[in-house]
Amino acid sequence: MFGKQYVRELHKQGINSLPIVCIISVFIGAVICIQMRINTESPFLPSQLTGYATRETMILEFSSAILCLILAGKVGSNIASEIGTMRITEQIDALDIMGVNSANYLILPKILAFVTMIPCLVTFSITTGLLGGFGVALFTEMITPMEYEQGIQYSFLPYSIQYSIEKSLVFAFIVTSIASYYGYTVKGGAREVGKASTNAVVNSSVIILLFDVMLTKLLLS
Amino acid sequence: MIEVKNVNKSFDGKQVLFDISANLLEGHANLIIGQSGSGKTVLMKSVAGIHRIDSGEILYDGRNISQMKSNELNLLRREIGMLFQGSALFDSLTVKDNVMFPLRMFSNKSEEEMEERARFCLERVDLLRALDLYPSEISGGMQKRAAIARAIVLNPKYLFCDEPNSGLDPKTSLLIDRLILEITHEYNITTIINTHDMNSVMEIGENIVFISKGHKSWQGNNTEIYDTGNEDLENLIFASDLYKKIKKAHQMGI
Repeated sequence: MFGKQYVRELHKQGINSLPIVCIISVFIGAVICIQMRINTESPFLPSQLTGYATRETMILEFSSAILCLILAGKVGSNIASEIGTMRITEQIDALDIMGVNSANYLILPKILAFVTMIPCLVTFSITTGLLGGFGVALFTEMITPMEYEQGIQYSFLPYSIQYSIEKSLVFAFIVTSIASYYGYTVKGGAREVGKASTNAVVNSSVIILLFDVMLTKLLLS
Repeated sequence: MIEVKNVNKSFDGKQVLFDISANLLEGHANLIIGQSGSGKTVLMKSVAGIHRIDSGEILYDGRNISQMKSNELNLLRREIGMLFQGSALFDSLTVKDNVMFPLRMFSNKSEEEMEERARFCLERVDLLRALDLYPSEISGGMQKRAAIARAIVLNPKYLFCDEPNSGLDPKTSLLIDRLILEITHEYNITTIINTHDMNSVMEIGENIVFISKGHKSWQGNNTEIYDTGNEDLENLIFASDLYKKIKKAHQMGI
């Protein structure tokens, strides 16, 4: 039963998040590329800088921290409202009365599934974000595809990817555990479920930002 | 049999149950009745082990649940089936999977054996046609029947029903009441029903415990209920004109 729940959560939180991750990453990658090009247009700066800056922004910040903030909205509210609704409709009481450890059965697969899927989502976001920037190079005359390609290859540190994934693992745990806590402890009715969902998103976002600062200091300095 | 002895329960310093003692009989429908807010749901949840009591004893065939450790309580819970007020079916699972859920969690049966048992229970509650439907796709009465099938799938010794008729029309209520009573007798289950539906009281009240303001005020059966002399109970049972006429007819021997 636990295995089935885990696979279901992998699909729900991971596979189902791919479209939103793809759309957001492509567009943000494209926007970063355009803005970098506009703001660094100078005869003293190489045009490859646009690709370089797009890559660094996507890897170091967007695809880990900002993506997890976005997913806190999608995954976090989904978890809090699902568990909260189960609480107010006595489904959790039904599990307890059967002798099932409801927290273990409901929460653990969600946390494990999202922590498992987040490296895939981060990698996917980095790739699609860079492709978004490449689209700008391909379809506009702001920068040539060759210059963009050279930029994204310039001075690449594989540790950046490791750093990004390590950060995202912590954020994934924060999103799922906080959302599960708010959902599991709901008391009342539909209004309280909505409130729990909002609280889960707001609080996990704030904690992600705090941890983002701490982890950046710890891992990069 | 479940024996409730001198049970007290409070929440945040506010006492809800006062020194309640009652015997809940094996193979019978035991009804806990009372006005809204009288403490009957707290009593039922305390007896079911969902709430820990402050003092007193609750004995399941001599086993005191208030002294049980959590692993012992979990083992006991496998002997308990519960029908919740809102059915509490898992809405992400089909009716068949809901009924098979306790088997998947606690039995070593093969998938075929589990399915056979689930089909048997669903047939018993006349719900085989809803096998592959989700709870949101079936009516309230069907949801209650599916919940009964899930509650009896592990052959429980004790069955708890929290307001099984709430939200149902009188005809479906009667059907559910009779189904619960039939199952109780058929499998010799100690059934505890929390209700304020007077039709249920009259129809299946084999052992009735009346709770008033957190105190046990009366205990008896549905034939004794006409002449209790208990003012609170009479105000609850014979509140409507219809039941006043029924009582009068009963007293006149009609």
